[in-house]
Amino acid sequence: MNEDIRNRLLGSTSPDPGCDACFEILDQYAEAMLRGVDAARLFPQVVAHLESCEACREDTEGLIAMLRSQSLDETK
Amino acid sequence: MLNSMTTELDDDSARWLEELRSQGPLRGQAHSRLHEILHRVTRAEAFRRRDTLPPDVAGDLDDLCLQAANDAVVAVLGKLDGFRGASRFTTWAYKFALLEVSVRLRRRAWSRRRVALDEVSWGHLVDPAHGPERSVEHEELLSTVRQLVESTLTENQRRVFLAVVSEEIPIDVIAERTGSSRGAVYKALHDARRRLRTAMTVVGHRGAK
Repeated sequence: MNEDIRNRLLGSTSPDPGCDACFEILDQYAEAMLRGVDAARLFPQVVAHLESCEACREDTEGLIAMLRSQSLDETK
Repeated sequence: MLNSMTTELDDDSARWLEELRSQGPLRGQAHSRLHEILHRVTRAEAFRRRDTLPPDVAGDLDDLCLQAANDAVVAVLGKLDGFRGASRFTTWAYKFALLEVSVRLRRRAWSRRRVALDEVSWGHLVDPAHGPERSVEHEELLSTVRQLVESTLTENQRRVFLAVVSEEIPIDVIAERTGSSRGAVYKALHDARRRLRTAMTVVGHRGAK
Protein backbone atom coordinates (compact mmCIF):
# COMPACT_ATOMS: atom_id res chain seq x y z
CA MET A 1 0.00 0.00 0.00
CA ASN A 2 1.29 3.46 -0.89
CA GLU A 3 1.47 5.13 2.55
CA ASP A 4 1.45 8.66 1.12
CA ILE A 5 -1.89 8.27 -0.59
CA ARG A 6 -3.30 6.30 2.35
CA ASN A 7 -2.32 9.06 4.79
CA ARG A 8 -3.56 11.75 2.47
CA LEU A 9 -6.96 10.10 2.18
CA LEU A 10 -7.43 8.57 5.61
CA GLY A 11 -4.99 10.39 7.92
CA SER A 12 -3.31 8.96 10.98
CA THR A 13 -4.98 6.48 13.30
CA SER A 14 -3.05 7.86 16.30
CA PRO A 15 -4.97 10.02 18.81
CA ASP A 16 -5.04 13.54 17.40
CA PRO A 17 -5.92 16.42 19.76
CA GLY A 18 -6.60 18.91 16.94
CA CYS A 19 -5.15 22.30 16.03
CA ASP A 20 -6.04 24.28 19.16
CA ALA A 21 -4.74 21.73 21.66
CA CYS A 22 -1.59 21.27 19.59
CA PHE A 23 -1.02 25.03 19.49
CA GLU A 24 -1.21 25.17 23.29
CA ILE A 25 1.99 23.17 23.68
CA LEU A 26 3.74 23.93 20.39
CA ASP A 27 6.32 26.07 22.19
CA GLN A 28 7.26 23.18 24.47
CA TYR A 29 7.44 20.79 21.53
CA ALA A 30 9.65 23.18 19.52
CA GLU A 31 12.05 23.68 22.41
CA ALA A 32 12.22 19.92 22.97
CA MET A 33 13.06 19.44 19.30
CA LEU A 34 15.79 22.04 19.58
CA ARG A 35 17.27 20.38 22.66
CA GLY A 36 17.41 17.13 20.72
CA VAL A 37 15.36 15.22 23.26
CA ASP A 38 12.85 12.58 22.21
CA ALA A 39 9.98 14.94 21.38
CA ALA A 40 7.99 12.11 19.80
CA ARG A 41 7.94 10.27 23.14
CA LEU A 42 7.18 13.41 25.16
CA PHE A 43 4.54 14.77 22.80
CA PRO A 44 3.03 11.84 20.86
CA GLN A 45 -0.25 13.67 20.26
CA VAL A 46 1.50 16.68 18.76
CA VAL A 47 3.44 14.38 16.47
CA ALA A 48 0.20 12.64 15.44
CA HIS A 49 -1.45 15.97 14.71
CA LEU A 50 1.47 17.32 12.72
CA GLU A 51 1.42 14.19 10.55
CA SER A 52 -2.11 15.01 9.46
CA CYS A 53 -2.29 18.83 9.58
CA GLU A 54 -0.18 20.58 6.96
CA ALA A 55 -0.92 24.09 8.30
CA CYS A 56 0.22 23.29 11.84
CA ARG A 57 3.20 21.37 10.49
CA GLU A 58 4.38 24.37 8.45
CA ASP A 59 3.89 26.70 11.40
CA THR A 60 5.89 24.36 13.63
CA GLU A 61 8.69 24.23 11.08
CA GLY A 62 8.72 28.03 11.12
CA LEU A 63 8.90 28.17 14.90
CA ILE A 64 11.75 25.66 15.02
CA ALA A 65 13.58 27.51 12.22
CA MET A 66 13.21 30.75 14.17
CA LEU A 67 14.58 29.19 17.36
CA ARG A 68 17.45 27.59 15.43
CA SER A 69 18.48 30.89 13.84
CA GLN A 70 18.28 32.60 17.21
CA SER A 71 20.35 29.85 18.76
CA LEU A 72 22.97 30.31 16.05
CA ASP A 73 22.99 34.07 16.64
CA GLU A 74 23.59 33.51 20.35
CA THR A 75 26.62 31.31 19.69
CA LYS A 76 28.27 33.86 17.38
CA MET B 1 -4.34 15.50 28.80
CA LEU B 2 -1.51 17.11 26.94
CA ASN B 3 1.85 17.89 28.47
CA SER B 4 1.09 21.44 29.50
CA MET B 5 2.93 22.12 32.72
CA THR B 6 3.76 24.96 35.03
CA THR B 7 7.39 25.37 35.94
CA GLU B 8 9.54 27.97 37.60
CA LEU B 9 10.16 30.87 35.25
CA ASP B 10 13.61 31.51 33.88
CA ASP B 11 14.97 34.99 34.60
CA ASP B 12 14.32 36.38 31.14
CA SER B 13 10.70 35.15 31.07
CA ALA B 14 10.06 36.48 34.58
CA ARG B 15 11.38 39.88 33.52
CA TRP B 16 9.14 39.92 30.45
CA LEU B 17 6.06 39.18 32.54
CA GLU B 18 6.96 41.69 35.21
CA GLU B 19 7.55 44.47 32.70
CA LEU B 20 4.51 43.72 30.55
CA ARG B 21 2.31 43.79 33.65
CA SER B 22 3.93 46.85 35.19
CA GLN B 23 2.55 50.37 35.12
CA GLY B 24 4.19 53.45 33.66
CA PRO B 25 6.96 53.77 31.09
CA LEU B 26 8.41 50.29 31.70
CA ARG B 27 5.20 48.76 30.40
CA GLY B 28 5.23 50.84 27.23
CA GLN B 29 8.86 49.97 26.59
CA ALA B 30 8.13 46.27 27.07
CA HIS B 31 5.20 46.46 24.62
CA SER B 32 7.44 48.15 22.06
CA ARG B 33 10.15 45.54 22.55
CA LEU B 34 7.59 42.75 22.22
CA HIS B 35 6.29 44.25 18.99
CA GLU B 36 9.81 44.58 17.68
CA ILE B 37 10.73 40.94 18.25
CA LEU B 38 7.40 39.63 16.93
CA HIS B 39 7.74 41.81 13.85
CA ARG B 40 11.17 40.27 13.33
CA VAL B 41 9.56 36.82 13.56
CA THR B 42 6.83 37.62 11.02
CA ARG B 43 9.39 39.03 8.57
CA ALA B 44 11.70 36.05 9.01
CA GLU B 45 8.86 33.61 8.40
CA ALA B 46 7.62 35.47 5.33
CA PHE B 47 11.19 35.42 3.99
CA ARG B 48 11.50 31.68 4.75
CA ARG B 49 8.35 30.97 2.74
CA ARG B 50 8.99 33.42 -0.09
CA ASP B 51 9.65 30.69 -2.67
CA THR B 52 6.25 29.11 -2.04
CA LEU B 53 4.37 32.37 -2.66
CA PRO B 54 3.12 33.83 -5.95
CA PRO B 55 5.61 36.49 -7.18
CA ASP B 56 3.21 39.41 -6.68
CA VAL B 57 2.63 38.33 -3.06
CA ALA B 58 6.29 37.64 -2.31
CA GLY B 59 7.22 41.14 -3.43
CA ASP B 60 4.74 42.93 -1.21
CA LEU B 61 4.89 41.59 2.31
CA ASP B 62 5.85 44.56 4.49
CA ASP B 63 2.32 45.55 5.44
CA LEU B 64 1.27 41.93 5.90
CA CYS B 65 4.15 41.30 8.31
CA LEU B 66 3.41 44.47 10.25
CA GLN B 67 -0.29 43.62 10.59
CA ALA B 68 0.59 40.09 11.68
CA ALA B 69 2.97 41.47 14.33
CA ASN B 70 0.30 43.91 15.55
CA ASP B 71 -2.26 41.14 15.97
CA ALA B 72 0.30 38.82 17.55
CA VAL B 73 1.06 41.44 20.22
CA VAL B 74 -2.66 41.75 20.98
CA ALA B 75 -2.95 37.94 21.20
CA VAL B 76 0.08 37.62 23.49
CA LEU B 77 -1.08 40.38 25.83
CA GLY B 78 -4.59 38.92 25.91
CA LYS B 79 -3.30 35.48 26.86
CA LEU B 80 -0.53 36.56 29.20
CA ASP B 81 -2.18 34.88 32.20
CA GLY B 82 -2.11 31.61 30.27
CA PHE B 83 1.68 31.57 30.10
CA ARG B 84 2.83 28.93 32.59
CA GLY B 85 6.55 29.05 32.01
CA ALA B 86 6.75 25.60 30.42
CA SER B 87 8.87 27.20 27.69
CA ARG B 88 10.76 30.47 27.41
CA PHE B 89 8.42 33.43 27.19
CA THR B 90 9.83 34.45 23.82
CA THR B 91 9.22 30.97 22.35
CA TRP B 92 5.66 31.09 23.63
CA ALA B 93 5.17 34.57 22.12
CA TYR B 94 6.79 33.59 18.80
CA LYS B 95 4.15 30.96 18.12
CA PHE B 96 1.44 33.64 18.05
CA ALA B 97 3.46 35.62 15.51
CA LEU B 98 4.02 32.48 13.46
CA LEU B 99 0.30 31.70 13.44
CA GLU B 100 -0.70 35.25 12.51
CA VAL B 101 1.76 35.55 9.65
CA SER B 102 1.25 32.07 8.24
CA VAL B 103 -2.54 32.41 8.12
CA ARG B 104 -2.14 35.73 6.30
CA LEU B 105 0.41 34.33 3.87
CA ARG B 106 -1.83 31.41 2.90
CA ARG B 107 -4.85 33.63 2.49
CA ARG B 108 -2.93 36.22 0.48
CA ALA B 109 -1.51 33.50 -1.77
CA TRP B 110 -5.05 32.33 -2.51
CA SER B 111 -6.70 35.75 -2.56
CA ARG B 112 -6.97 35.89 -6.34
CA ARG B 113 -7.98 32.30 -6.77
CA ARG B 114 -11.57 31.29 -7.00
CA VAL B 115 -12.60 28.90 -4.24
CA ALA B 116 -16.00 27.35 -4.86
CA LEU B 117 -16.58 24.90 -2.05
CA ASP B 118 -19.91 23.87 -3.58
CA GLU B 119 -18.07 22.69 -6.66
CA VAL B 120 -15.19 20.76 -5.14
CA SER B 121 -14.44 17.53 -6.94
CA TRP B 122 -11.99 14.66 -7.04
CA GLY B 123 -10.03 16.63 -9.65
CA HIS B 124 -6.52 15.44 -10.34
CA LEU B 125 -6.55 12.99 -7.44
CA VAL B 126 -8.36 10.55 -9.72
CA ASP B 127 -7.05 11.88 -13.04
CA PRO B 128 -4.62 9.30 -14.49
CA ALA B 129 -2.82 12.11 -16.31
CA HIS B 130 -1.47 13.41 -12.99
CA GLY B 131 1.21 11.79 -10.88
CA PRO B 132 3.11 8.55 -11.35
CA GLU B 133 1.55 5.36 -12.60
CA ARG B 134 -0.67 3.93 -9.93
CA SER B 135 -0.81 0.38 -8.69
CA VAL B 136 -3.97 -1.70 -8.76
CA GLU B 137 -4.01 -1.44 -4.98
CA HIS B 138 -3.83 2.35 -5.17
CA GLU B 139 -6.69 2.51 -7.68
CA GLU B 140 -8.76 0.16 -5.54
CA LEU B 141 -8.24 2.33 -2.45
CA LEU B 142 -9.20 5.48 -4.35
CA SER B 143 -12.29 3.84 -5.76
CA THR B 144 -13.44 2.58 -2.36
CA VAL B 145 -12.81 5.90 -0.63
CA ARG B 146 -14.61 7.73 -3.41
CA GLN B 147 -17.71 5.58 -2.96
CA LEU B 148 -17.61 5.92 0.83
CA VAL B 149 -17.20 9.70 0.68
CA GLU B 150 -20.50 9.89 -1.19
CA SER B 151 -22.31 7.36 0.99
CA THR B 152 -21.06 8.01 4.53
CA LEU B 153 -19.97 11.64 4.96
CA THR B 154 -22.15 14.61 5.79
CA GLU B 155 -22.30 17.36 3.17
CA ASN B 156 -19.94 19.58 5.18
CA GLN B 157 -17.47 16.72 5.76
CA ARG B 158 -17.56 15.85 2.04
CA ARG B 159 -16.87 19.43 0.99
CA VAL B 160 -14.01 19.89 3.47
CA PHE B 161 -12.53 16.48 2.66
CA LEU B 162 -12.50 17.11 -1.09
CA ALA B 163 -11.34 20.71 -0.73
CA VAL B 164 -8.31 19.68 1.35
CA VAL B 165 -7.46 16.23 0.00
CA SER B 166 -8.28 16.65 -3.67
CA GLU B 167 -8.24 20.38 -4.42
CA GLU B 168 -5.37 21.01 -1.96
CA ILE B 169 -6.92 24.19 -0.60
CA PRO B 170 -5.24 25.23 2.69
CA ILE B 171 -7.54 24.87 5.69
CA ASP B 172 -6.88 28.51 6.64
CA VAL B 173 -8.32 29.55 3.28
CA ILE B 174 -11.36 27.30 3.73
CA ALA B 175 -11.83 28.76 7.21
CA GLU B 176 -11.71 32.30 5.82
CA ARG B 177 -14.18 31.60 3.00
CA THR B 178 -16.63 29.83 5.31
CA GLY B 179 -16.32 32.19 8.27
CA SER B 180 -14.91 29.36 10.38
CA SER B 181 -11.62 28.65 12.14
CA ARG B 182 -8.63 26.45 11.35
CA GLY B 183 -9.52 24.19 14.27
CA ALA B 184 -13.13 23.77 13.17
CA VAL B 185 -12.18 22.99 9.56
CA TYR B 186 -9.53 20.52 10.69
CA LYS B 187 -12.06 18.83 12.99
CA ALA B 188 -14.45 18.35 10.06
CA LEU B 189 -11.58 16.79 8.08
CA HIS B 190 -10.51 14.65 11.02
CA ASP B 191 -14.08 13.42 11.60
CA ALA B 192 -14.47 12.69 7.89
CA ARG B 193 -11.31 10.61 7.82
CA ARG B 194 -12.29 8.72 10.97
CA ARG B 195 -15.70 7.98 9.51
CA LEU B 196 -14.09 6.76 6.29
CA ARG B 197 -11.67 4.49 8.17
CA THR B 198 -14.56 2.97 10.09
CA ALA B 199 -16.59 2.51 6.91
CA MET B 200 -13.62 0.87 5.21
CA THR B 201 -13.30 -1.60 8.05
CA VAL B 202 -16.98 -2.41 7.71
CA VAL B 203 -16.64 -3.12 3.99
CA GLY B 204 -13.49 -5.14 4.73
CA HIS B 205 -10.93 -2.96 2.96
CA ARG B 206 -7.44 -3.50 4.38
CA GLY B 207 -6.43 0.11 3.60
CA ALA B 208 -8.21 1.24 6.78
CA LYS B 209 -5.52 -0.36 8.93
